[in-house]
Amino acid sequence: MGSKILPQALITIPRNPNQYPPVKLGFSAALSRRSSISARVSLSRVSSSSIGSVFSPIVSAISKRNFVVRADPSSEGEVGATDDAQENEATGSGEASVAVVEAEAEAVLEPESEEPKPPRKSRVKLGDIMGILNKRAVEAAEQERPVPDIRTGDVVQIKLEVPENKRRLSIYKGIVISRQNAGIHTTIRIRRIIAGIGVEIVFPLYSPNIKELKVLSHRKVRRARLYYLRDKLPRLSTFK
Amino acid sequence: MAAGLASKCSRVGRSLLGGLGNNLSGLLSSSHEMASSTFLSQQRTFIQMRTVLKVVDNSGAKKVMCIQALKANKKGARLGDTIVASVKEAHPNGKVKKGKVVYGVVVRAAMQRGRCDGSEVKFDDNAVVLVDKQGQPIGTRVFGPVPHELRKKKHVKILSLAEHIA
Repeated sequence: MGSKILPQALITIPRNPNQYPPVKLGFSAALSRRSSISARVSLSRVSSSSIGSVFSPIVSAISKRNFVVRADPSSEGEVGATDDAQENEATGSGEASVAVVEAEAEAVLEPESEEPKPPRKSRVKLGDIMGILNKRAVEAAEQERPVPDIRTGDVVQIKLEVPENKRRLSIYKGIVISRQNAGIHTTIRIRRIIAGIGVEIVFPLYSPNIKELKVLSHRKVRRARLYYLRDKLPRLSTFK
Repeated sequence: MAAGLASKCSRVGRSLLGGLGNNLSGLLSSSHEMASSTFLSQQRTFIQMRTVLKVVDNSGAKKVMCIQALKANKKGARLGDTIVASVKEAHPNGKVKKGKVVYGVVVRAAMQRGRCDGSEVKFDDNAVVLVDKQGQPIGTRVFGPVPHELRKKKHVKILSLAEHIA
């Protein structure tokens, strides 16, 4: 029975300190809870609990550093709780360290007491985290501006706001010669002949600088990457 | 037409050579190019000594060969950098003559240059605008598109003369 790792991302950090307020309990209750959770607790916490009932501020600080690395809301909540507890620690000594223990114990047990024995939630594998983060970022970008479906061979027009060129929006037109899917950094490569010279520009699709993205027409192509257009006549890459 | 064919052949030849002998391009190229086989993809690299560039202003020169990339990293010059070059080919009556050592600003490079918003820009050829020691262009016109990276490098005069800002 490992500690329940909820599939939340680092985005949920601001919510956590409210969820897990440090509640002061009796010392014996804290001890019993500590022994029960020591079996479940993950490796970073075992070191702190195994040292014994004497919790010095140094130990809690070391265990706190282990928590910060993980994208885990229960541990983030404990960090928040121990941060609050640490301020109290400056004033008190023994009681404050007990408060740290109680805060840890309480924070771990909070989710368990909220949902009494739910069906076992599937753990988020380490390899899935980037996929989940990317999906969230893409959804957030879609809220700002919906991105149409762009495929290779579309002739598109992009209106871009450039911070250097703080005037009217720059307009880029051209044929999409490739699309690279990489989550939030999904890019399209646009090719066009400008003033006699071929220019290829790579645009990240979900960039907030892109103000408008319009598909003008579509050319039938039988490839996913149209790099052959570089060797062909400029006429094929010209778009009025 | 013949010029187009010649440039196409040189480009194909360059790509073959580039695929085989690109010992400098370890850092630079985007991951897109590395995905396909190195024989087919084009590894564009920096502008370094012996690189021949096209001159796109009306200063009189036609082709220059880079001698030195100024104030650039060890590997070479990129879009927007200044180079020292020697004029290899020139118009008969122009401001510069063949064999003269000049400074130039790279306005078009075949190697992609990343921008701060994640986009990248690359051109089909390498081109340079001749300038003097102070950075003012020698010619009075600039042909072809120029990127707006030049604004950051304080080459505002070249931007104002340009036909099109990419």
